[in-house]
Amino acid sequence: MEEKKDHFRAPIQDTFRRKSPFEQLLEHMSKVRECIDIIGKGLERYYKGDYKDFSNVAKKVSKLEHEADLIKSNLRNHLPSTLFMPVDKGKFLWALREQDAILDHAENLAVMLDMRHTKIPKEIQEDFIEHSKIVMKTVKAMEDAVCNIKDLVETSFVKRERQQTKEFIYKVHEYEYKADKEKYKLTKKIYELEKKLKPMDTYHLLKIADWVDDIADHAENVADWLRAMIAK
Amino acid sequence: MDLAVPVLLIGGGTVAIAFYVAWSIGANDVANSMGTSVGSGALSLRKAILIAGVFEFLGATLIGIHVTKTIQHGIVNPNNPIFLADPSIFVYGMLSSLLAAAIWITISTFYSLPISTSQSIVGALIGFGIVAAGASAVSWGKIIQIGESWVLSPLIGAVLAFFIFYIIKKVIFDTNKPFISMKKTLPFFIFALVSVILFSIFKSLGCTDFPNICITTIIEITLIISFISAVIGYFLICRYKPKSLRTDADIYNSIEHVFIYLQIITACFVAFAHGSNDVANAIGPLAAVINILQSGTIESVIGVPIWLIILGGIGIITGLATWGYKVIGTIGKKITEISPTRGFSAEFSTALVVLMCSRFGLPVSTSQVLVGSVIGIGFAKGIVAVDLKVIKKIVFGWIITVPLSAATAAIIFIIIVKLG
Repeated sequence: MEEKKDHFRAPIQDTFRRKSPFEQLLEHMSKVRECIDIIGKGLERYYKGDYKDFSNVAKKVSKLEHEADLIKSNLRNHLPSTLFMPVDKGKFLWALREQDAILDHAENLAVMLDMRHTKIPKEIQEDFIEHSKIVMKTVKAMEDAVCNIKDLVETSFVKRERQQTKEFIYKVHEYEYKADKEKYKLTKKIYELEKKLKPMDTYHLLKIADWVDDIADHAENVADWLRAMIAK
Repeated sequence: MDLAVPVLLIGGGTVAIAFYVAWSIGANDVANSMGTSVGSGALSLRKAILIAGVFEFLGATLIGIHVTKTIQHGIVNPNNPIFLADPSIFVYGMLSSLLAAAIWITISTFYSLPISTSQSIVGALIGFGIVAAGASAVSWGKIIQIGESWVLSPLIGAVLAFFIFYIIKKVIFDTNKPFISMKKTLPFFIFALVSVILFSIFKSLGCTDFPNICITTIIEITLIISFISAVIGYFLICRYKPKSLRTDADIYNSIEHVFIYLQIITACFVAFAHGSNDVANAIGPLAAVINILQSGTIESVIGVPIWLIILGGIGIITGLATWGYKVIGTIGKKITEISPTRGFSAEFSTALVVLMCSRFGLPVSTSQVLVGSVIGIGFAKGIVAVDLKVIKKIVFGWIITVPLSAATAAIIFIIIVKLG
């Protein structure tokens, strides 16, 4: 951020940051939201066997991940030690890191899925779709929690808003737990089918379940760091 | 009194430099006080300039006398044998100090160093005093008081702003129904705001002629006006129906919207306080010079003709109108993070601290008090990100301003005396 020299004395403008770190966190989150939208719909079609447009999905997700990385670097590079925030800067950066991990995993998932168009057996298609829906719900709940930061900041972290944020966070935990259970159900079914499937297919199916579930895990981590940030 | 250089030249020169210093105060320092109001959206640029112009002038003319007296004869003691013997030395000294301050203000403005006009002139006077008549010519007791005020004023600003914002947070935001809480508490806020402003202004005007009548009349007038304001506020807020109160964000936006009006009042207050404190930087030395030139004796140095203060006010307004508006606009665009509730707290505490310093004749930096207030609100978690490196810059400014301006004034003084 190049600072043009202004020829006037104004210590007050040195006190404020030009862009609020929370604003940038929310900007980063909007990239997550876009990405989850795209990959949620894309996964459903892929599971049903429609691989036609999936390379577009992969391209879009990569682009979003790159844009989010720019926001992330910008944020990190302009958080000097002299900056005083109402939350711990370290916890804030961890939340950002976990949020970014969602995008990294989504990109990884999309690119790998596109490399090998694995056919999902009809018996477990519904379960895969159900699993991905729950994972998307987890991320949506995380987005709600992170969005509440705006209200937290406006009221300077009063109890009522912190309580609201905590309730959003509980939802995230709930959905993540459901996602885990669904994944175990899925994995069990894959093992039951393993004799019927080619080894590479089995491997790939297990990997897909893992990758999609990781997204929910990172969403939960973001929520946990958010909870740590508002701890009193 | 023999002056080698014609009286008119010295008098005219001092007037010109004093006007320049007043101009630069209007061109730069006023923006520091008004920037927060423009940044929060409470004032448009045009309204900010209007308010600044009117209230800076009022503050300067009504209350500027105290600090002007300090600069004029409170730092370098005129009752010194050297000055008594040859008053022209005092005149040259005041001229040198003003010139040195003007030079430092120009340099620091160009290089964006957070150096205070008040601190430059105080440093310059010390330099002249020591070189002209030795260390005993400087009222060190006053200097220590002034130094303490430089350190304490931002700190007190911070504590006060923290306190005010904390009350707003607890009484409005931290309740189950913030909008309703705001409606209930607004009359009290208005009452407190108006009564503090009026009382502090009345006390600063000084009523040495009628001490007994003064204090009770002041209290009565203050309470009546404050009560009426609170009642008006109550009726206005009852009729306030915001478009939508569905989401939390809507509620908070409507609260901030109401505080815009409170912030307009504090903006006037800050401009008033700033004018009362900074006009002295330009007019103090000028008044000393004019008095001595007119009468020829050092004893008459005390007393500040009102037309000089008015001249200072005009200088400030001119600076504001020709250059200051640009600076206010630029600052306003950069600090949009501040919202009316925060701006109100920062400005109210800044104005109160600066006005009290003016009342006691202490020249302080309004900008630094404002920075202190903003940091205070940051500690109340009211501001998303406060960069504390500005504190380092300010302390650095304290350390280098006084010696540098003192040295500059001393050098200029020696040159003028050698020439004259």
